[in-house]
Amino acid sequence: MAKGMNSEYKKMIDKQYRDLMKHCQSHMEQVEKELPEPRENLHELLEKRGVSRRDFVKWTSAMTVALMLPPIFKPLVAKAAENFSRLPVVWLHFAECTGCSEAFLRASYPNVDDILLETISLEYHETLMAASGDQAEACLEKAIHDFEGKFICVIEGALPRGLNGQYLRIGPKGKTGIEIAKEVTSKAGAVICIGSCSAFGNIQSANPNPTDSVSISKALGISTVNIAGCPPNAVNFTGTLLHYLMFGGLPALDGLGRPIWAYGKRIHDYCERRPHYDASEFVEEWGDAGALKGWCLYKVGCKGPYTYANCGKVRFNDGISWPIMAGHGCIGCTEPDFWDTMAPLEKPLPDKSLGFTDATADKVGIALTAATAAGIAVHAAASVIRHRNDDRVNKPEDLQEEKHD
Amino acid sequence: MEKIISVKEWSLAIRLNHWAMACSIFILIVTGFYIATPFTIGQGETVDKFFMGHVRFVHLLFGVILVFLFIWRIYLALFSRFHADWKDFLAFTNIKNFIHQIKFYLLVTKEGPQYKTLYGPLQSLAYLGLLFMVFVICVTGLILMGAGYDAGFSSVAYTILRPVETLLGGLAMVRTIHHIFTWFFILFIVVHIYMAFWYDFVLKKGTVSSMISGNIFKKVKE
Repeated sequence: MAKGMNSEYKKMIDKQYRDLMKHCQSHMEQVEKELPEPRENLHELLEKRGVSRRDFVKWTSAMTVALMLPPIFKPLVAKAAENFSRLPVVWLHFAECTGCSEAFLRASYPNVDDILLETISLEYHETLMAASGDQAEACLEKAIHDFEGKFICVIEGALPRGLNGQYLRIGPKGKTGIEIAKEVTSKAGAVICIGSCSAFGNIQSANPNPTDSVSISKALGISTVNIAGCPPNAVNFTGTLLHYLMFGGLPALDGLGRPIWAYGKRIHDYCERRPHYDASEFVEEWGDAGALKGWCLYKVGCKGPYTYANCGKVRFNDGISWPIMAGHGCIGCTEPDFWDTMAPLEKPLPDKSLGFTDATADKVGIALTAATAAGIAVHAAASVIRHRNDDRVNKPEDLQEEKHD
Repeated sequence: MEKIISVKEWSLAIRLNHWAMACSIFILIVTGFYIATPFTIGQGETVDKFFMGHVRFVHLLFGVILVFLFIWRIYLALFSRFHADWKDFLAFTNIKNFIHQIKFYLLVTKEGPQYKTLYGPLQSLAYLGLLFMVFVICVTGLILMGAGYDAGFSSVAYTILRPVETLLGGLAMVRTIHHIFTWFFILFIVVHIYMAFWYDFVLKKGTVSSMISGNIFKKVKE
């Protein structure tokens, strides 16, 4: 019986994947017809950069797994990568540090993700484009006009709403960030927010937030794909773009707009130091014996248990390392308002001060409990005095007298 | 002539629920503080140790028990065959009694207000607050637990409660709320135990033992 159900289930899953495959293939054909020719031949470029065919195949396998697809999709992932540079991208910068762009563009040596991002058909990117001033503006207008409804709008940076958006003015016409964002996103095929600034507001919107900065989705009232992180992993961005190329739609998102394939599990769930957490082996202070042994960083402020991200799986800088591997706890940069909710970053959450006071919940709790205990002591003493004569009636002697009668 | 009779006040179900909740909450507070501020166990090999794992297991186990105790308590309040006490939770709406009760607690008057409900006006408010606290701690607890599971009860509960997490602003906020509410429980317990003793001392009706035997003493005129 169970076996029969299993095969039934397997058939259903197989059918689902076959349908998905068909959808993917027909979509890829459409992409090849509709979108402009690839700007660059990926394989030539890879060869030039010293990435072997074998490395590329390895990368396709890893990416297929990362996207939570079965191995039969590997050829399609490869095909999507070849067509990567067909996808027109407009990259906007608002209130941010350009760290996300930097993180994507600079690598110790180019791997497939970085090369892919280099081949991207960037129609407009403020820090990378050669054009400036009016020319740059013309590029943007042309891109929006030529690829209306087809281009991907990638946004880095939060939008300040204070002073009617005047904390941020960009370009020769001095448009506010909100004006540009409204204009471009209204014509984009999809809006992808890169980094926690555009996704959740990040440090600009941290308390007390003088410029009233907020995320793109909050400022414009649109739904965005949020590749959260400060900076996010290049894999999460390329994967989402590949998904868009392969299926013509955005991947499944969680309640905060983050792709589930990348942000579906917590840091804590995949952490290589997790066994030390369960064994109660904690680093008590930086550089102690526990730190040398690679114990859990929970007590020096690791926020892995509250953070959804795949850093531990895909790692950074060509998979060399990631924060917890390097010996510092997770600071929770993929979560909304992490500067406020996760602070202090190098102390565990019980050391967080309550908003209205500098004291922690435990200190306030102990003080309140002590005050209550003192109040009770006073009340108890007063009650004993106040109600001392209540038991005059029904004294044992009275009862005995009754008996004698 | 006055006579003292023993009257049944609490059904067995309520008493079981009360003590089960009391035990779970006590265990949850102790294990919860360990999870919040753990101490390191330095001795021995990592493979031989699982202290945090065990503490978390006990915490999750009693947390889930508390969820079901809460549901049971709500059921009893609405459908108990002995005395469905949901109306008694609204005793605080009687403003006159409410003020009288405060005077009684502040030892201004020697006699408390007369009420027919199971709980006094301030008591009803405190217990409503407790039910709210249990509700919040259960919801936040289920979110924190479910985040780490893929299957079973906790995963189903988490799927339902995930929007609450999003609304509150992530797991860190959920965890902070969970921690703050723990302190509300501690404050409640301190006051609750004192008030039970105080009532027993002042009214001499056997308030403390009534939650064990189920009966309370009442004076009736013959």
